[in-house]
Amino acid sequence: MRNSWLIAMREMKERLGSRSFVLMSIFGPLIILGVLYLMFILGGNQTEKWNVLITDPAGIMDNKIMANQDPNVSYSFANDYIEHSEFADAKKYQQFDAMVEINEKILGNKVSHVFYRIKPSVGLQAKVQYHVERRLEEVMIAQFTDLSVAKFRELKQPINFSFRNVYDPLDQSSDIRAWVGFFFGAVILVFIALFGMTILRTVTREKSNRIVEVLLASVKPKQLLIGKLTGVGISAFVQFLIWLIIVGAGLYIIRENVFPDYYDASNLNVMELAQNAENQTLQEQMYASTEYNHVVDLVYERINFGTMLTFFVLFFIGGYLFYGSFFAAIGSTAGTESDGQQFVLPILMVLALSAYAGYYAVMNPEATISTVLHYVPFTAPVVVMVKLAQGYPVGHAYEMWVSLLLLFASAFVFISIAGRLYKNGLLQFGHRLRLKHLIKWLKKA
Amino acid sequence: MLKIDNISKSFFRKPALESVSLTVNKGEIFGLLGPNGAGKSTLIRVINQIIEQDSGTVRINGDLMTQKHLANIGYLPEERGLYKTMTVESHALFLGQLRGLSKTDVQRKLNYWLEKFQIADWRKKRIEELSKGMAQKVQFICTVLHEPDLLILDEPYSGFDPVNVELIKQELIEMRAKGKTIILSTHNMKSVEEVCDRVALIHNAKKLVEGKVADLQEERKSGEYAVKFRGNMISFVNALWTGFEIVDKEVLADDLFIVRVKMRGENSFDNLLNVLIGQVKIEAAWEVLPSMQDIFIDLVQPKEMAS
Repeated sequence: MRNSWLIAMREMKERLGSRSFVLMSIFGPLIILGVLYLMFILGGNQTEKWNVLITDPAGIMDNKIMANQDPNVSYSFANDYIEHSEFADAKKYQQFDAMVEINEKILGNKVSHVFYRIKPSVGLQAKVQYHVERRLEEVMIAQFTDLSVAKFRELKQPINFSFRNVYDPLDQSSDIRAWVGFFFGAVILVFIALFGMTILRTVTREKSNRIVEVLLASVKPKQLLIGKLTGVGISAFVQFLIWLIIVGAGLYIIRENVFPDYYDASNLNVMELAQNAENQTLQEQMYASTEYNHVVDLVYERINFGTMLTFFVLFFIGGYLFYGSFFAAIGSTAGTESDGQQFVLPILMVLALSAYAGYYAVMNPEATISTVLHYVPFTAPVVVMVKLAQGYPVGHAYEMWVSLLLLFASAFVFISIAGRLYKNGLLQFGHRLRLKHLIKWLKKA
Repeated sequence: MLKIDNISKSFFRKPALESVSLTVNKGEIFGLLGPNGAGKSTLIRVINQIIEQDSGTVRINGDLMTQKHLANIGYLPEERGLYKTMTVESHALFLGQLRGLSKTDVQRKLNYWLEKFQIADWRKKRIEELSKGMAQKVQFICTVLHEPDLLILDEPYSGFDPVNVELIKQELIEMRAKGKTIILSTHNMKSVEEVCDRVALIHNAKKLVEGKVADLQEERKSGEYAVKFRGNMISFVNALWTGFEIVDKEVLADDLFIVRVKMRGENSFDNLLNVLIGQVKIEAAWEVLPSMQDIFIDLVQPKEMAS
């Protein structure tokens, strides 16, 4: 045990001191932060600006639309008929991105055509529709009721139909959160692939420079294998922690400076709020909030980082030990440094399949195959993270623990098998690794 | 100290060792000789438990060799490897601790060896900054750092210049004097004669001979004597007459020769000296014993030609 630890510590120090480790530790999280930031930006409405022309020959809207205009959408009015072909070609209309037709029958048939040049996002479509609807609502209130707009809106409470899974009444599971689980699983796979290759390289290098013979004169092959797996694993974990700290700090800074928490009253600009309150109903404000950004909402409010990270770590360790033993076994049995590459490809393919299994679980959470893949050690690290993000039904959390147990049990079985290959193949040099070698060394005690 | 009994080992059905038995006594330098591919390194790896024998036993001080005995063995493999990015000190710490030493002990012993080899300023150097010979020295230090009772050195002189070969040789002699047992696998036959007490020769996976260096030389001597004399070569030849046969001669100067002579009939070394005294001025005379190189070639070559 002491020897394995010494080997692990040496391995870890070498990794931590390497340039690639430092670069990965800095740029890895920065890339993630960059991608997240882009998702935040693109996930919101702030970048899309639309110039809309409303044709209202009957003057129904009285050339008015919501007083508190959205900065990203500007409206102009035309009180004559404009053919869509004219709108498409006429020079004077080129400044407009879309044309909304409000004809005299609209209050009856509730139909309006919108002609656009470039298809807007669903969010933007909804926003324009919302703005126009609200204005028409005001017109209708004035025409058909004696109520004030404020009173009407107070009475008119929309019925919010919320579709929920009967087994998941709290709506813990959702596609978006499943993707977050997939992301966590993918990070596990990326770390396994990166550090698995590190194990392979370090084993083959020790073999080719023959220091392995000195080591084996002091430690058993299995101790060497465990030391190596532990050392590289710890360095992977350290790198993960660095990523976590940098990404965590980055998200905090972004939240504080770029996307102040809109649920937190202390972050709201009181003056702006007061001004908005005069012109906006509560619903409008809520509408604006929910429209704000689903990605920001998802990252800051809806992911249970505590649970996700705890199981991320557990499944990362299990998955790393499971796959890492394969990489070590191939490194130890390869005849030369480049020889093992042909056998790495199948492992990488299995890792890719594992990623696909995660994708499948996102798309088909209830499928039998998803349930099976949830327990298969090759795919468990990703599929379980997806399921965990979706949320296990009440009373089914044990499934995750069963999967974890199976993963660890398989990892120890494979470490034992890899140990045998390690022992029998480590001092074989110069050969070209073939499957028959692996079978022969596996059979040997 | 070490008893190897009927060790056999095959790789891919090709025998590397066939029923090899030998004994290494405590406090001796034991030469393990043999041509390339004879099976020496395999035997050394079996002793070190790096590979497992197919059959046979290795006993150390009467006990079957196990992992726990390895802490008391220092092994310098033929093909050396060091971690290139590590410093001399960190390397010594790593390997020393693997062999059971504490950090403090490693530091103390490393100081001793660095001072002894006058390389104290190498301590913080990275291995990749050292020349091959310098790295060899570091590896030798790492091998002996934990003061093992049994040292197994596979080609310890390779990569060293003559000065350092001599340095290592003196170290080995000094260690023997301290009661350490050393197994020395080398092709340097001169050093075998100089430092080894006993040797074993392995060829084609089998042990051909084992014994004291002097005994092996004695067994294979050809009855030749050498005489170094000053004088006239004709006088020397005339003096010998028919009782002796000149095998070889070496001219050292106009009047200085070394001549190798073989006895004929019942003639002895005394008779040789008697006929020469007065005819030439004898400076030295001795019995010619075969060198270890001769014995090695003699044992290996006919078999190689036959095979």
